[in-house]
Amino acid sequence: MLIQNEIPKEDLDYILEPFKEEKEEDNKQIISEKIIVIVRDEKGNIVDKREQKMRSLTQYYLALISLGILSTYSSPTSTTATSILVNVLGLPSNQYSYDGDTAQITFDMSIQLGSGTQSFSLTLNSLSAPISNGSGTGQLIYYSPSILNTSNSVSEILTVSNNSGNTITVSEIGLMGTIYLIYAGSSNNFVAQPYNFLFSYDTFSSPISIPNSGSASFQIIITFSG
Amino acid sequence: MMVGSKVDYDISNLYIPKDDKRDNDYQKSFIATLTIIVKDKDGKVIRKYKQKSHSPTANFIGLMIPLTWYNATGNSWTFVNTSNSTFGYAPSIIDPGFGMGYPCGSSNHNTYIVNILVGSGSNSSPYSAYNLNAPISNGSGVGQLLYSSISTPTSITINGSQAYFIISQSYANQSGATITISEVGIITFLNFTNIPNSSITPGSSLIWYDVLSSPISVGSGQSIVIYYTFSVNA
Repeated sequence: MLIQNEIPKEDLDYILEPFKEEKEEDNKQIISEKIIVIVRDEKGNIVDKREQKMRSLTQYYLALISLGILSTYSSPTSTTATSILVNVLGLPSNQYSYDGDTAQITFDMSIQLGSGTQSFSLTLNSLSAPISNGSGTGQLIYYSPSILNTSNSVSEILTVSNNSGNTITVSEIGLMGTIYLIYAGSSNNFVAQPYNFLFSYDTFSSPISIPNSGSASFQIIITFSG
Repeated sequence: MMVGSKVDYDISNLYIPKDDKRDNDYQKSFIATLTIIVKDKDGKVIRKYKQKSHSPTANFIGLMIPLTWYNATGNSWTFVNTSNSTFGYAPSIIDPGFGMGYPCGSSNHNTYIVNILVGSGSNSSPYSAYNLNAPISNGSGVGQLLYSSISTPTSITINGSQAYFIISQSYANQSGATITISEVGIITFLNFTNIPNSSITPGSSLIWYDVLSSPISVGSGQSIVIYYTFSVNA
């Protein structure tokens, strides 16, 4: 296996050149993501409904995709991780594991809400003003996420309630990713070391107000078109 | 399927788009592109070809499902290798864990990209494809192409509003006759393991698959380079 040398400029220009014509079949989404929001007041009545596409995947989500394409080892016989895992995600090239034990990698996702806005950047790694979990001023209570799935989609639902005493405004939403490196620590203890990233970032076209004693569900659907 | 607590009853499977493929009303954030450059025996470019790539297989989708899904459902994902053997796997971060093998001191379970495989057939369902329909083998005999080693990226490149990485591979036709390529796929060697060294090893598995919009003819003495580009776009 070769580590990529410079791609000939002529080839690279052609590779990166935008398509001149978009055929209908070219517009098929490989990975599409949608956000659905339902807000209820204290009596359970729906007071707001939103549905919008997610637009803003970060380079960290692309690095996650590399985990599926390139996998973890830089070659069939190496004991070093792929360059993207090391250079982009900052993971160790070789993970210590006690006394000949193995090391593994897996990941998880969760939804984070925020009350700020910021310009999107491919290297963005946090929301502008994350809303923390709790019932104090400016906080929302985050419940355990629920999962829906079909054969080609996975959907994560975050339900929050507002017990803060005031209306809370949600203006940004992020899909947080946690990559776990699993290994045996120096005392032969089990370790699942988390590394946190922002996989996607979006703002709402207009902020969402969650009334005091109200609740809201935020659903992010990731659909793969195989 | 619905699991977990405090689910809003207005959100149900009805909200999951049955077919997002027609939903074209916004700029795509994730794009994959397949580029093929054909060169003559002197290395001169004689043809260029590019198409959108569309088709992660079920194996790839299984790798992209987050841990929460596995924990909440108790399900495993069925991976199918290129020999059509099946392997159930579910990751875990509870002792003794389970995940894709990661480089470590001595007990390595290498998990790596094998190659960009080319073929002369086509599969009608990329999602469930487990191998190319008619893979072209490595060699200089009849119907064969000489595969170079796969080339992998050193990092993600950010260029303006786009971040991308590229994998590539070259193929030379020394068979003495024209060879036609109509399908392309990415093969990864999958190896899952846990701390005590138990493993589930599907081995060579089709991760990504594309049928070419127009088959590519590679004349005797000619060569091609295939580039897969994966990008996110702000």
